Amino acid sequence: MIDQQIATRQVLWNITHDWVMYVLFAVSLAIAGYGIYLRLSIWRRGVAVDRFDRPAERIKLLLRHALLQGRTVRERYAAIFHSFIFTGFIILFIATTVVMLDHRFGIPIMRGAFYLYFQSFVVDVFGAMVLVGVGIATVRRAVIRPKKLVYTDEALRILALIFLMALTGFLIEGWRIAATNDPWGAWSPFGYLVARLSESLMSVETMTTAHLWTWWLHSALVFGFIAWAPYTKLIHILTGPLNIYTARLDPSGVILKTLDFENQDAPLGVKTLANFTWKDLADFDACTECGRCTQVCPANTVGKSLSPRDIILDLRDLIRAGGSDPMLAFEQPVVNAVPATAAEALWECTTCGACMEACPVFIEQMPKILDLRRFQVMEESDFPETMQEAITSLESRGHPFRGTQSTRVDWAEGLNVSIMADARDADVLFWVGCGGALIERNQKVVRATARLLEKAGVRFAILGREEKCTGDPARRIGNEFLYDMMVRENVDLLNGYGVKQIVTSCPHCFNTFLNEYPQFGGRFEVWHHSEFLSKLIEDGRLALSEKLDASVTFHDPCYLGRHNGRFDAPRQIVRIASRSSVEMAQTRENGFCCGGGGGMSFVDEPKDKRVNQERARQALETGADVVAVGCPFCMTMLEDGINARKGDRDVRVMDVAEILWQTMEVESKK
Amino acid sequence: MDILIISFSNSDYDRAAQGVAGAGRNLATVLGGRLRAVVIGPGNAAMNSRLAAVADEVIVADQAELAEYQPEIFLQALTSICRDAAPAAVLFGNDTYSQELAPRLAHRLSGSAAGDGIELAVDNGAIRVRRSVYGGKAVATIELKRSPAVLWLRARAFEPAPEKDSATAAITRPAVDLSMRAPTQIIERKSEGAGEARLEDARVIISGGRGLGGPEPFADLQDVAGLIGAQLAASRAACDSGWCPPSWQVGQTGKKVAPGLYIAVAIRGASQHMAGISDARVIAAINIDADAPIFKHCRFGIVEDYKNVIPLLKEKLAALQR
Amino acid sequence: MNIIVCLKQILDPEVPARDFRIDAEKKEAVRGTANLVTNIFCENALETALQLREKTGGRITALVFAPESGEDALRKALAMKADEAVLVINDGHPHPDPLAVAHVLAAAISKIGVFDLVMVGRESGDWGVGQTGGLLAEELGVPCISFVDNLENGTDGLIVTRQTDNGWEKARSTTPLVVTITNNEYNVPRIPKTRDIMMSARQPITRLTLDEIGVDAASIRAGGNYYEIVDISIPVKEVTCEFVTGDSLDERVDQFAKRIIEVTQAL
Ligand SMILES: Cc1cc2nc3c(=O)[nH]c(=O)nc-3n(C[C@H](O)[C@H](O)[C@H](O)COP(=O)(O)OP(=O)(O)OC[C@H]3O[C@@H](n4cnc5c(N)ncnc54)[C@H](O)[C@@H]3O)c2cc1C
Ligand code: SF4
Ligand code: SF4
Repeated sequence: MIDQQIATRQVLWNITHDWVMYVLFAVSLAIAGYGIYLRLSIWRRGVAVDRFDRPAERIKLLLRHALLQGRTVRERYAAIFHSFIFTGFIILFIATTVVMLDHRFGIPIMRGAFYLYFQSFVVDVFGAMVLVGVGIATVRRAVIRPKKLVYTDEALRILALIFLMALTGFLIEGWRIAATNDPWGAWSPFGYLVARLSESLMSVETMTTAHLWTWWLHSALVFGFIAWAPYTKLIHILTGPLNIYTARLDPSGVILKTLDFENQDAPLGVKTLANFTWKDLADFDACTECGRCTQVCPANTVGKSLSPRDIILDLRDLIRAGGSDPMLAFEQPVVNAVPATAAEALWECTTCGACMEACPVFIEQMPKILDLRRFQVMEESDFPETMQEAITSLESRGHPFRGTQSTRVDWAEGLNVSIMADARDADVLFWVGCGGALIERNQKVVRATARLLEKAGVRFAILGREEKCTGDPARRIGNEFLYDMMVRENVDLLNGYGVKQIVTSCPHCFNTFLNEYPQFGGRFEVWHHSEFLSKLIEDGRLALSEKLDASVTFHDPCYLGRHNGRFDAPRQIVRIASRSSVEMAQTRENGFCCGGGGGMSFVDEPKDKRVNQERARQALETGADVVAVGCPFCMTMLEDGINARKGDRDVRVMDVAEILWQTMEVESKK
Repeated sequence: MDILIISFSNSDYDRAAQGVAGAGRNLATVLGGRLRAVVIGPGNAAMNSRLAAVADEVIVADQAELAEYQPEIFLQALTSICRDAAPAAVLFGNDTYSQELAPRLAHRLSGSAAGDGIELAVDNGAIRVRRSVYGGKAVATIELKRSPAVLWLRARAFEPAPEKDSATAAITRPAVDLSMRAPTQIIERKSEGAGEARLEDARVIISGGRGLGGPEPFADLQDVAGLIGAQLAASRAACDSGWCPPSWQVGQTGKKVAPGLYIAVAIRGASQHMAGISDARVIAAINIDADAPIFKHCRFGIVEDYKNVIPLLKEKLAALQR
Repeated sequence: MNIIVCLKQILDPEVPARDFRIDAEKKEAVRGTANLVTNIFCENALETALQLREKTGGRITALVFAPESGEDALRKALAMKADEAVLVINDGHPHPDPLAVAHVLAAAISKIGVFDLVMVGRESGDWGVGQTGGLLAEELGVPCISFVDNLENGTDGLIVTRQTDNGWEKARSTTPLVVTITNNEYNVPRIPKTRDIMMSARQPITRLTLDEIGVDAASIRAGGNYYEIVDISIPVKEVTCEFVTGDSLDERVDQFAKRIIEVTQAL
C-alpha cells in the first residue's frame, strides 16, 4: 500500500499552452461581468427602497432558503433534481478552487486524505449526481412537460450544456487515470469506470489525444457556461440568494407600500417599469421559471388568464428584448405591454398571496399586480364596473355594498349591545365590519360572536352607526387615495375613543388593523374573533360540554392564515366544538382562496371559471357536513359555491363562532 | 271654480285618463265648479264622446298643427285654452308628455305645479297634493300657493270618474293661434312593444331563481308576465344554469332595477340578489320555504311549490284582467 | 358649445329605510350619519355633457345652488372634468320650492353669460319634484325637452334623443335650449381619476351670493311662494310579509293574484 499522505495528482497533465485557458477564463469572466453589470444597471433605474436593514434576520433567511433551499424542497420531485444539480455545482466549485489554490498559489492542500476523500471521491460522486439531476430534469421538461414549467426552451439548452460539461469532465478524468495509470484512480469511482472501460477500447495514445481535445472542449464549455449564464435564467444562482437576502421580512399582510399624495410628479401606482422599485426589477431577474406561483394561483387554477409567473417573465423578457438599451421597455406603460399584464388579468387576482408563499426565491408577484391596479384605478379610472360601484359606495356611504337594505346595527336587534359612544369604558371594541353587519347571512355570525362575548362576560362595545369600512377593499382594488383617507378618519375615531383592544370577525379588517394601521398611527391590540374566543375557552370563561354532531372542515381565510400565519385558533375551536374534523388537501399556508379577496367578491366571475366553486369542490371532497369559515367574504363565496355544487348532499357553511354558539345553545336547552 | 283635465288623444280614454277624470270630478265637486275635459292631439271622436259622458264640457284641440306631439306647440295650445278657461286646477296624468308640459304650463299661467300626486285635498280653499318623496321612504303633503294648481297624478291610483246621469256634455273646439315657428321639432318616433323596455325601466318584473329547476318554467313565467305587462328577470343561479340569458341577471353584479312590483319566484333572496332590487316599491314572492330570506323584504307572499301556483295564477290573473 | 350643467346635492338616497328619520320641524329628512351626494340624474346630465363636449368641443360650467356643502358636488364635477364651477350660496331655506330654485339658477346663468345648452337632471332623488328643467326654461324664455338621454350636433341644430313611455323620440332643436336628462346605459357617470380629484381641490370655484345675482333674496331665503310642504311623514310600512291565507290553494292563489292586480293598477 502506498502512503496515502502523498496522494495527489498532476494538475494540467497533458496540457500545454495553458495560458490560453487563462485568457479564455478572463474573456468569459468579462462577458459574464458585463451581463451582470447590465442587470445591475437596470435595477438601478428602479425607485429606491431599503432592503438591507435588519441584517441578522436576513442572514438567517438566506441560510434557510438559499443554502437549505427551504421552499424548493416543498415540492419533492423538483427538489431532488434541483438539489442534485445545486449541490453538485457547489462541490465542483469548491474543487476547482482547491485546484487553483494548490496549483496556482502553491498552497499544498490538494494532498493526502483530503485529496482522496474529497477531491477525488466526493467530487466524483457529486459530478455523477449532476448528471442524474440533469437527466431527471430533462425527462420532466421534455417528456412529462407540466404546463407550469414550460415557459421557454432555454431551460433545455441549459440542461444540455450542463450535461455536456459533466460528461466531458468524466471522460477526461477517466482518460487521465488510464493514461497515467493513476494509483489513486479508484478513489474517483466514476472516472475510474470510464478509465477501465476505455482501456479495453482505446490505446494509450488515442486516449492521450482524445484527452487533449476533450480537455479543451470541456474548458470551452465551462467558460461558455460562465459567460452565458448571466444572460439566462441561470442568473438566479446569483440573484436568487440576493433576492432572498433582500426579501420582505414582515408578514405578507404588510407588504403594500403607502403613497405620497403630495408628490405631484410620480404617477399613482406603476405606469412604466421605472416606477417599480429596484427590488421589483431585481425580482424579474431572480425568477427560476419554476412555475410554482402560477401552479398555486387560484385564478389560474380555474382557467383564468392571470399567471403570476408570466407577469414576472414577460416583463423580464420585455426588458431583455431591449438588450443594452432598455429605454424602449422603460418608456411604455406596463399594463398591456406584454400578454401577462393584459388589463383583464389584473382584475382576476384575489390578493391571496399564494404565489409569494410558493416562490423559492421570494419574488413578490402580488404587490406588482397591485401597483398596476393602482395605476389603472387612480390614473386611468379604468376598472370593472362593479368594482367601481363598490368604490363609489365606499366614498359616499363608507361601505362597499351598494343596495344593501341593512343598517349597521340591525344584526344586534334584541341583544343588549353597548355602543361605544355610550360605553367609553368598554375593554374591547367589537369591530363588526361591513361584511358582518350588512350581508344578511353574516349577521348571524356577528350575532353569535356578540352573544359569546356577552356570555364570557367581556365588557365590549361596538361603534354602531359610526363604524365605517377599514378601507381594505379600496386598497386591494387599487384606490390607495380613498384607502388613505378612510384609514386616517378611522384612526382619529378610534384614538378619539381611546380604543386599545379590537376584536373583529373579519380577517380583512384584522389584517388592516394589525399590519397597516400602525403606519398611520393606529396601534391596537388586534384579535380575530377565533383567537379571542379560543382564548376565552382556554381561560375557562367559556365552557362547553356539548359538541356539534358533525364532521367539520376548516377553510383558511387568506388574510388570517397565509398573510398572518394564524392557523391554529379556528382549528382549536372546530376540534373542541365538533364531533370530528378533517382537513382539505390544500390547507394552512397552502390554503386555496375562496375567491373573494382583492375586491373579487364585487365582480361576477365567468360561470365556468369560479374560484369559489373550485374551493367548494375541494371542501366537498372531504365529505365533511360543515364547512367552517372565519370570514364574511369566505362565507358568501363558499356558501354560493357549496349551494351550486352540493347536489343532494346536506352540507352547510358555518362560521366558527356559529359552531361554538350552537353548542352553547344545545347545552342551554338541556 | 272649474277643473280642467288634460288628455292626449293618442292614448285613448285609458285607465290613466279615467283616473285623472275621477280625480277631477272629486275636486270639482269639492270646489263647486265644473269638470271640463281637454282632449289634445289628432281627432279621436270615440274618446271625445267617452269624456262627454263624464265631464261637463269637452274642449277638443285637434287642429292640423296638433296632429303630432310637439312640445312647444302643445304647450302654446294648452296655455291659450287654460288662459281662457281660468280654472282652479289643471290635472294631467303622469305620462312623459304630461310631465314635460305641466311645470311649464304652470309657469305660463302664473300658477303652481306639483307632480306624482297620489291624493288630492282642499284645505281652506287651497289645493293640497300628497305624494311620495325620498324614494318612497316618506310621504309629503304639498300645498300649492298660486292658482291655478297644475298637477300631474299617478292616475291609476285614482278611481275612474262615474258617468253622469244627465245628458252628455257639449263638445267645443276653440280656435287657437298656433302659427308659431317652433324652435324644437320632433322628427322621429319609435315605440317599442311592451316587454321590450330595458329591465331597469320595467314597471313590473317577474324573476325566476334556481328553485325553478330548469328553463321550461320561464315560459310559464312569460305567460304570467304577458298578463300583467311584466318583464322577466332572474337570479344569478338561474342565469348561470343557462336557463335564461345572462342579461336577465338582477343583483349586485347584475342589473339594478326599480319596478313598482317585483315578483320573485323560487329565489332565496341572497344579499347579492337583494342589492339589485332595493329600489323596488313592492316585492312579492313565491317560495316553497317559509324561512327563505326573501320573505323578509316582501309585502306579500305565498309559501308553496311554484309548480302549483303558476298555472292557477295564470287563470286568476286572466280572469281579473277582464 | 357652452354648456351649463345644474347639479343638486341631496341626502344619500341609499340610507336604509330603517335608518331613515324625519325632522318634523324642518319638514325634511334627518341627515344623521349619512352623506350628501350629487343627485344621480344630475350626474347623468354631467356625463352626457362631457360626452357631448368630446364630440363638439366647448366649455362646461357646473352650477350648484346649495349651502357651502355644495362645494363637494362642484369638486366632484371638476374632477369629472367640468371646466368651471359656480356655487350660488343658499343661506336661507333648506329646501326652497322649485320656482325659487329655477329663478336663482336662471339669474345665475344670466350672470354667467352666454350659453347654448342648459342640462339638468330629470328629477332629484330626495324630493323628486321633476320641475326644475321646465321652470328654468320658462324663466330663461327658451325651449325645453325632457327625459333626454343623448345629444348630437346635427346639420341644422342639435339632435336630441329622449325617452318616452313606450319608446323614444328624436327632436331637432335650435339653441339655446334646456334639456332634462334621464339615464341610459351610456350616460352612467364616469368615476373621476384620482389624479383629477387631487387636482380639483386646487381649482377655483366662483362663489355668488343671492344678492349678487340680482334676485329677490328675501323671498328665496324664505323658501319661495310657489308651494309649501305642509306635512311629511314616514308611512307605516308593512314590515312583515303578509302571507296570503285561505282554506284551499285556489283561494290563496286567488288572494295572491288580487294583490298583484292591486299593486300594478296603482303604478
Ligand atoms: C360575488 C358574488 C356576486 C353575486 N352576484 C349576484 C347577483 O348579481 N345576482 C344574484 O341573483 N345573485 C348573485 N350572487 C349569488 C347569490 O349569492 C346567490 O347564490 C344566488 O342569488 C342564489 O340564487 P337563487 O336564490 O335563485 O338560488 P338558491 O339560493 O338555490 O335558492 C333557491 C330558492 O328556491 C326555492 N325553491 C326551491 N324549489 C322550489 C319550488 N319548487 N317552488 C318554490 N320555491 C322553490 C328554495 O326554497 C330557495 O329559496 C352573487 C354571489 C357572489 C359570491
Ligand atoms: S395573489 Fe393569489 S390570485 Fe393573485 S396572482 Fe398571486 S396566487 Fe394568483
Ligand atoms: S416567480 Fe418565483 S415561483 Fe414564480 S416561476 Fe419565478 S421563481 Fe418560480
